[in-house]
Amino acid sequence: MNGAVNRPKLRLQGVTKAFVAPRTGHRTLALADVSLDIDQGEFVCIVGPSGCGKSTILNIVAGLDAPTAGIVEKDGAPIAGPGPDRGVMFQDYALYPWQTVQGNIGFGLNYGAPGKSMSQAERDARVAEFVKLVSLTGSESKYPHQLSGGMRQRVALARLLANGPDILLLDEPLGALDAQTRIILQAELLRIWGETAPREQRKTTVFITHDIEEAVFLADRVVVMSSHPGRVRDILTIDLPRPRDESIRADPRFGHFADEIWRLIRDQALQAIA
Amino acid sequence: MTVAAQSFSSRPIAAVARGVALPLVLLLVWQAWASTLPANTRAPSPAQVARAFETLAIGGGLVGATLQSLGRVMLGFLIALVLGVSLGVLMGSSRRVSRNLDPIVEGFRPIAPMAILPIAILWFGAGTPAALSIVAYAAFFPLLLNTIHGVSRVDRKLLQAARTMGLPLHARILRVVLPAALPSIMLGARLAMGVAWTAIIAAELAVGAKSGGGSSGGLGQMMFVFYAYSIDLNNIVVCMIVVGVVALLIDRLFRVAERRLMPWRI
Ligand SMILES: Nc1ncnc2c1ncn2[C@@H]1O[C@H](COP(=O)(O)OP(=O)(O)OP(=O)(O)O)[C@@H](O)[C@H]1O
Ligand SMILES: [Mg+2]
Repeated sequence: MNGAVNRPKLRLQGVTKAFVAPRTGHRTLALADVSLDIDQGEFVCIVGPSGCGKSTILNIVAGLDAPTAGIVEKDGAPIAGPGPDRGVMFQDYALYPWQTVQGNIGFGLNYGAPGKSMSQAERDARVAEFVKLVSLTGSESKYPHQLSGGMRQRVALARLLANGPDILLLDEPLGALDAQTRIILQAELLRIWGETAPREQRKTTVFITHDIEEAVFLADRVVVMSSHPGRVRDILTIDLPRPRDESIRADPRFGHFADEIWRLIRDQALQAIA
Repeated sequence: MTVAAQSFSSRPIAAVARGVALPLVLLLVWQAWASTLPANTRAPSPAQVARAFETLAIGGGLVGATLQSLGRVMLGFLIALVLGVSLGVLMGSSRRVSRNLDPIVEGFRPIAPMAILPIAILWFGAGTPAALSIVAYAAFFPLLLNTIHGVSRVDRKLLQAARTMGLPLHARILRVVLPAALPSIMLGARLAMGVAWTAIIAAELAVGAKSGGGSSGGLGQMMFVFYAYSIDLNNIVVCMIVVGVVALLIDRLFRVAERRLMPWRI
């Protein structure tokens, strides 16, 4: 069978997720019949209004939440629980308050590949490398409560990347950053993802964002969701050439994609405000 | 608030002076009152207590008795710490375990440490093990309940993040649950240390009474002997003050330890 070649890295099929409030029994349908195949090495961005179930999808792929109905697979095998092969950057960072910047970034290195087989000196070097990547040099010994929101976000990003998982699941990873830092880290993210490497060596990435231009700049495909209940409204293939740099933002096709996505979510956004 | 706190820490001498002023005034009032009493009174006075302290401390067995009680408090506290924290982690993280054990815990909790004394003496005799078991029993509950409280409130996201990083269960307990619950556990430890002292004095008093002032040792037994054989209130007050001062010192040590162990809490 040559299915293995065409088999998606991640597969969601007919995924439905309902939350039931324990006391009232009130049911919230967060996801309704979501189907999405993601290939090895693909960079997929998910955009959609607040509450449409983006974080829920991420939690399900991470194995932290089980779908109410539907199939969730990685490499053709059902996802049964969380594992260090799928790294998550949480929307609220989930930093350990009792760990310093360094401690947080190195937190997972003793457990998942590639840190597990490293010596302590190699781990320290790796931590230093990622501290530098997110420009937190000088703040290594600070605790999360001593950091600004944007700094905390960068610690969470550095922690995820230092762990070096196969699959990157990022929930609005750059949302709290200033525009300049954001653009720099977008480029860094593409580099770490493996933009110049062949597809087999890239890290399969699911990236949630509210920033349409960010989605177009980064993604191979953009999934546009709608809410109440959360559904996949449309999927756009962003066939802009890679490697991409800042000049791509001036490309007329770039604007065209952004307009298209905006058109898809505008109605809902207007409804939500009204 | 913060301004006051700052001036406090920046001028430690002033802080100490403020802490000492009130006790000093009370001592003076006490001495003034005592000097109005007839010479043959049994009522203690600061001057007499000071003299009694001197005789007891130098060759009177006060140091040995204090160390013995302190040793029992420490050992009993350690037993309670190990049992209370491990059971607390178990009950705090598993609803099923806590549902099953909660009735037992809550059933025992209102039983005063002294109420288990008869059983303790029957089982262990009138020496250190009986006193230890009572101290451990008394200190166990604050540690258990505060650990449960701390553990059950650990941010779920932090545990989820640990699982996505591949931490196995024991690492999640050691590196996430315990540090997250540490503030609660430390609070429980301070409360436990307080009740450990009340329990040890009561236990030594009672065991001393049971054995006719014989074999139990410790500050509590010393107090019992003064009470039963000489009715010397000055000596008893010395013992009380020693307990108070040692307990106060231990509590200060706890605060230092808290700052060391939890630097992230400022
Ligand atoms: N643990 C939960 N219990 C109950 N309802 C939940 C739970 N988690 C999410 N929901 C509900 O599911 C829906 C989707 O939530 P989700 O967090 O996935 O949205 P989102 O798209 O990530 O939104 P945002 O952009 O604001 O982060 C929401 O209506 C939310 O109220
Ligand atoms: Mg979300």
